[in-house]
Amino acid sequence: MTDPTAEFFQRLSTRGYEPMLRDAKATVRFDIKDRKRVERWSLHIDEGNLRVSKNSAGADTVVTAERTVFDGLASGEVNAMSAFLRGELIVEGDPELLVLIQRLFPAPPRKQDRQPVPAGGGRSS
Amino acid sequence: MTDDFVRILDGNTFVVSDSRGDIEASPTDPTGLFAYDTRFLSSWVLTVDGNRLTALSTDDLQYYESRFFLVPGTGTVYVDAKLSVIRQRVVGEGFRERLTILNHDDKPVDLNVRISAASDFADLFEVKDALEKKGKYYTRAESDRLLLGYERQTFHRETEITTSEPARITEHGLTFAVHVEPHAEWSTDLRVTPAVLWPDGRRTVLSSRSGRKPEAMDKDLHAWLAAAPKLECDRDQLKLTYRRSLVDLAALRFSPLIAARHSLPAAGLPWFMTMFGRDSIFTSLQALPFVPDLAATTLKVLGRWQGTRVDDFRDEDPGRILHEMRYGELSAFEERPHTPYYGTADATPLYVVLLDEYERWTGDRTLVRALELEARLALEWIDRYADLMGNGYISYRRRNEKTGLENQCWKDSWDSISYHDGRLPGFPRATAELQGYAYDAKLRGARLARLAWNDPAYADRLEAQAADLKRRFNHDFWVEDGKYYALALDADGAQVDALASNIGHLLWSGIVDKSRAKALAAHLVGPRLFSGWGVRTLAEGEGRYNPIGYHVGTVWPFDNSFVAWGLRRYGFKEEAARVAAGILDAAEFFQGRLPEAFGGYHRSVTRYPVQYPTACSPQAWSTGAPLLLLRTMLGLEPLGEHLVVDPALPAGIGRLELLDIPGRWGRIDAFGRGRVKVG
Repeated sequence: MTDPTAEFFQRLSTRGYEPMLRDAKATVRFDIKDRKRVERWSLHIDEGNLRVSKNSAGADTVVTAERTVFDGLASGEVNAMSAFLRGELIVEGDPELLVLIQRLFPAPPRKQDRQPVPAGGGRSS
Repeated sequence: MTDDFVRILDGNTFVVSDSRGDIEASPTDPTGLFAYDTRFLSSWVLTVDGNRLTALSTDDLQYYESRFFLVPGTGTVYVDAKLSVIRQRVVGEGFRERLTILNHDDKPVDLNVRISAASDFADLFEVKDALEKKGKYYTRAESDRLLLGYERQTFHRETEITTSEPARITEHGLTFAVHVEPHAEWSTDLRVTPAVLWPDGRRTVLSSRSGRKPEAMDKDLHAWLAAAPKLECDRDQLKLTYRRSLVDLAALRFSPLIAARHSLPAAGLPWFMTMFGRDSIFTSLQALPFVPDLAATTLKVLGRWQGTRVDDFRDEDPGRILHEMRYGELSAFEERPHTPYYGTADATPLYVVLLDEYERWTGDRTLVRALELEARLALEWIDRYADLMGNGYISYRRRNEKTGLENQCWKDSWDSISYHDGRLPGFPRATAELQGYAYDAKLRGARLARLAWNDPAYADRLEAQAADLKRRFNHDFWVEDGKYYALALDADGAQVDALASNIGHLLWSGIVDKSRAKALAAHLVGPRLFSGWGVRTLAEGEGRYNPIGYHVGTVWPFDNSFVAWGLRRYGFKEEAARVAAGILDAAEFFQGRLPEAFGGYHRSVTRYPVQYPTACSPQAWSTGAPLLLLRTMLGLEPLGEHLVVDPALPAGIGRLELLDIPGRWGRIDAFGRGRVKVG
């Protein structure tokens, strides 16, 4: 069984420096709910330097989501801002961090029929 | 929207009611209390002893406050002059309303006062397009409050209505048994608060600018006005227009969730009370000589939301600057792509243009260094993602075929880009002004690379690209027969040969060969484009020309302000003054508040500017137009550490003084006299 969330944090832990997050100094905890269990991951951001841990202490902001939702974010199937507006992604603390964190999630899988058509397709009228 | 409506606003929270203060929204009209693109109140009707009231007068006290003077009874029946009713309403976290009843009689009176309330929780898009709801409503009458709610899965929005005086509260409203002694009064404070309810039980009250109470708004507005330059002028109407612009710009400010205490302008009431990339950038450019902080916030916030991935639904690419953010139900459930939507081809190059112009005025190199990455990514987007035809030009074609935008330039309605004979080109389309913006962005990027990024090699590359672009553009877009630049190139690289106001933007960007500028200036103030009030979006005589067509014949004040700037850039002072005079004259017919657009009829035909039927007002970049026109008339131009003043004012203005213009020079005054005959 694949675990998109674990893979996401695995990738994040090797990402090292992320310039898009260079302004941030914060610890964000992710509480991922799976029936009665809560899986916790922490992302420490130090002016762009990323570190991932399972240490749950000292978070500035807590992001909570169901496992299915988070797996979707981790695989690019779910958009963070839409999930936030739907109430599926709950942010306690600094909502500004959500704008930064959403940049870390991968792109959605592309469907073939949405690929741009090559240039020179001719006039339609 | 007819003008019988009363609107008060604060950023993206606004209330639209009738002249009595009542709200009776139909599914399709934008009346009610709106916050973050959701209607939180669609019905709010006051009765006294079962009767509706009649408005004697309505005072717009501030942009966020209005007062309704009412008497019981409606027009055709007996008006009881022994009672008067005052509703004073302030928008902030939702709105507050103080309801006061005065008894002018020498006998006591007992009244049944009732406010009925309901909400349809419509997404603003639903109001615009009249769509059906998919979730469930509830109402809960408690002893001290009425709750109106809407739930769809975990999406939960709620309106709370409270009163300071006791009331009988039912699911349909609040009823007060009021006793008023002779020559006495009764009053209650009502509060209508919009909120998001989260699944963990927390509640977030929606307000335009977090943590700010209505009491602070008056102080805030005074500080805003005090910080802006002072305008002295023989012409009182111009002073009025200037003040109106500053106040409306203040009204439209909001903090889009992440700007901390900073704010940027929402685009316009009622449809566009949200963050738009293009509108925020143009408005910030217009306002730079007056309120430079807007530009700084716009750059920071748009930078934070810069695209990072390829997302076809949102038309997102890495480096692309957003088009539009929405917070309503349809965006939440991805029935619309606005979280945010990136389908604009101009905001990205314009982002670099604004960053450079901001530095020229303020000297704030710290921000230029802080945003180096964003600016480089924006410049990279032009070459890597925007050249859809592989011909070295920015072009656009939406990847979201269902809900994306067909036209991703500022003229974004379906029929805005056409050939002279009226046919519509296929996609991709490379509109002319986009190439001008790209040219300007590259040159300005080069300046910043030398000045602040310590990368002269990159600067050289950008300049070489810009020079090449200019050469190719002047060859490929020039319509030799008509002596103007084509509106666009089509998918075959052929000219979309209509004459449109876009040529004015080309002057502004500097991509026009000097030898051709004179012909453009002649077109811009010539009979086909110039209506006497301003430059039409599309020239008379074009196949799709229609004086009340949204982008095919109307006059847009924002468009004209950039046309005037372009004319000045190439030295056409008198032509620029003519455009400025026409638009500022038109402003007087709108009490200083220019609408989004007005009809392209010739001035001699209508004698007053005819407002476009569904135009937004106030709208940020129309509000900014008089500001930019003041800049162009005074010929304000930063040069190193100095501000050059080179006035060319229309004769009707007389003496004009703009005092305490902020910038890298500290504060400077500019003076001018109206000498240009604009006839």
